[in-house]
Amino acid sequence: MSNETINGRGLAEAERLYRDYGIRAKKLKEQGQKSIAYVCALVPLEIIAAAGFIPIRIRGDVNEPITKGDIDLETIACPYARSCFDNAVKGRYSFCDGLAIPHSCDSTARTYSVWRYVLNFPYSHFINTPHTANTSALEFFRADLKNFLKSLGRFARSEITDAKLARYVELYNENRKKVMALYALRKQDPPLISGAEMVKALVAGLSLPVEEASDLYDQVREEILNRKDAAIKKLPRIMVVGSAIDNHDFMQLIEESGANVVVDDLCIGTREFGPPTAVTDDPMDGIADRYLNRINCPRTYREKKEGETLEDDLAARFGDAGKLAKEYAVDGVILYMYKYCDPFGFEIPVRKTWFESLGLPVLYIEDEYSAGTTGSLRTRIQAFLEVIE
Amino acid sequence: MADEQDAKKRRKATEAAGKIGGMVRAAIGGTIKAKQEGKKLAYAFISSSYDEIIRAMDIVPVWTENYAGICGVKRDVNRFLERAESLGLSRSLCTYALCGIGFDQMREELGEMPPNSPWGGQARPDMMLSSGQILCDPRNKWYQASQQFMPDVPIYNVGLPWPMYEDDVDVDDVADYYIKHIVKELRGLIAFLEKQTGKKMDYDRLSGIVALAEHTWDLIWETYEMRRATPTPMDTGDAMNTMVPMVFMMGTQEAYDFYLALKAELQDKIDRKEGVIEDEKYRLLWGGGLPSWFALNDFNYFNSKGAVFPAETTYRLVEPIERLNIPNTSDPVERLAWRWLRYWTYWYDKARKRPGSEPDVERLIQYIEDYKIDGIVMHEAFSCRTWHLGLIWQLNQLKKIYRPIPVLSLGKPARRENPSLILESDIIDMSSYSEVETRSKIDAFIETLESLKSNQIA
Ligand code: SF4
Ligand code: SF4
Repeated sequence: MSNETINGRGLAEAERLYRDYGIRAKKLKEQGQKSIAYVCALVPLEIIAAAGFIPIRIRGDVNEPITKGDIDLETIACPYARSCFDNAVKGRYSFCDGLAIPHSCDSTARTYSVWRYVLNFPYSHFINTPHTANTSALEFFRADLKNFLKSLGRFARSEITDAKLARYVELYNENRKKVMALYALRKQDPPLISGAEMVKALVAGLSLPVEEASDLYDQVREEILNRKDAAIKKLPRIMVVGSAIDNHDFMQLIEESGANVVVDDLCIGTREFGPPTAVTDDPMDGIADRYLNRINCPRTYREKKEGETLEDDLAARFGDAGKLAKEYAVDGVILYMYKYCDPFGFEIPVRKTWFESLGLPVLYIEDEYSAGTTGSLRTRIQAFLEVIE
Repeated sequence: MADEQDAKKRRKATEAAGKIGGMVRAAIGGTIKAKQEGKKLAYAFISSSYDEIIRAMDIVPVWTENYAGICGVKRDVNRFLERAESLGLSRSLCTYALCGIGFDQMREELGEMPPNSPWGGQARPDMMLSSGQILCDPRNKWYQASQQFMPDVPIYNVGLPWPMYEDDVDVDDVADYYIKHIVKELRGLIAFLEKQTGKKMDYDRLSGIVALAEHTWDLIWETYEMRRATPTPMDTGDAMNTMVPMVFMMGTQEAYDFYLALKAELQDKIDRKEGVIEDEKYRLLWGGGLPSWFALNDFNYFNSKGAVFPAETTYRLVEPIERLNIPNTSDPVERLAWRWLRYWTYWYDKARKRPGSEPDVERLIQYIEDYKIDGIVMHEAFSCRTWHLGLIWQLNQLKKIYRPIPVLSLGKPARRENPSLILESDIIDMSSYSEVETRSKIDAFIETLESLKSNQIA
């Protein structure tokens, strides 16, 4: 694949960090730098970083059969969470010093004890993100984050000051801006960076101290702007909407099938990197608001307001994604969900209706988080692309 | 939740359990009648701590999980599951929810109950009370999905958290902000109901209902503890019926009276040394998982092999009120909040005392000891992550910190040896179930118990 070509510092570095995930943190550990492993976009990274740890997002691996994870975890958990757990059990995160799990969905919340005991990190903490987004829930969440901060501070044996928190709010906001600047390179037709390259770069950054991740994103951008041989052709422009994607394979599959993935509503993607943290007098206010209200994940319930029609409600819930589809001049949407993902699953019909109401064709895929499904998916994606063309 | 027929077939089933079918049928019929009489109906979820509030506001609850279970017992779920699937919902999601959504969509499309709906059907609600707690995602999303077909029906989502078990955080350290939030959520619910009904909450009445419910909690606990007797006078096959008043009728006099009668019946059986079966050989613990509602007869099959279940963790949703240490308060809403928090963290202190333990594991150990348990049976229903994640680990941990105990895990034959042969069972989706396979697993398990017993004797 020509758009896979590694021809410079930024992309090559991203590729290296993506393939040998965690290598930089392991190196830094030799110098005494500690890190905390976490799952899901709902863990407030600002707090972990302000406590002096590198937050390392736990990844799954679509090419790795789940073998050890099943000894303690049921196969009815979301396959993405299972793969993350399996990787962790296999020791890929044993260089980390602690674990943070948020209440994202049943597959993580209901298995917290399993993660905690089986992985046996010196530190672990559960962040009780409310399921509802209202004023009381926000107050509760803020208090719960303060509790996390206290507990982490005890473990780190250091005080996490507001000044430190504010500093990391700034650094992470900057980091998110840089990611969105990378996205902007996909607005033109053809896009300057492929979907597969994007996943690699974003994922690579999730294993680095935030300042280094920002540097990496800058380097990638610079390289992309200067590269002459990208050979990304004009093809149908696709948006991928769904659960968490942390392997490049799926994007590559779409791109090999004759399309360009130009934007997404995913974590790891715009859902996670899009919304900044508001700068507030007490930094915790902005942090709580971001992770409860601004990360628009279906696991958080947003109510249909009184007097709102169903259309208003859908616009409020999915409007951001609709805006992106327009901004990136998308030709079609792939709704991508993992089996056993209840938070997403119940929204599939309305999401489909919503995108179709914008005049966009939709392909819905339910997947297993395994490279083994590629063959059958390829046929379906090709058929979908034919309809678009 | 079985119908009367089923209950009669069971060996020495309690008379109380035999009444349940009629009670459920009357309750469901009652919702349809209430609707005709212009009363306000609310879709509701079990274990959401709002039972007393609903009752005090004269709202008629329509327990949607219950109705899906009924469809399961009646073996009439396929048409609803298939309808949900045709709407674009994955068959891997909670099948209660799929059945409910499929049913709702059919009813809305037809403008009347789907033909031959089990026990008259599920009435259209005036409101839906979601449950955005830490327990279950589907209950947070199900009604929102149903709203697509009933956009005029408002939702109030009650989000009630409890703290997870952590080494370095004591419940008392965080209780303050938990209670504050839970109270606000419940007050929000009351305000919502007041608006929907145009009626003000009568707090004295609410206090009375809370007190009645708490007496019922204690009564249930005492009644269930009587099952420690040898031979046990009641087993899990019955408990899957007798849970109905505990789960769906809390705060009503009917529920209290039901357990009063059950308690008297058990006392009588104990006095006469009458067990569930004549020759009680193995005492088993139902250690987790919802049952396959369409296959409750499997409990009879266990009985026919000399095995009884004096205890279960499933649907035992009460602890003795006094032990919950609820702080003094005259505010019934605060009381509900504290009861919620203390109930979900009840086993935390115990777990702290045993290195490596954890609340759910501690509960298993307690039941093993109190009920003289010989083996554990669990059921893994594929579509419900809420009650079925973490079970394997609990057993692994039990073995590590306590002692190995024979375990039968229903619903996942030879999975690890051959991953392509996954054949899991479910709460209501019959396509996942094989009677022959289940029973041969039970046979093998009984043989294991038998050989262990003979070794012990030898
Ligand atoms: S989709 Fe939601 S629950 Fe899943 S990883 Fe993303 S933020 Fe977390
Ligand atoms: S997932 Fe389980 S607890 Fe939740 S609604 Fe379904 S059956 Fe009930």
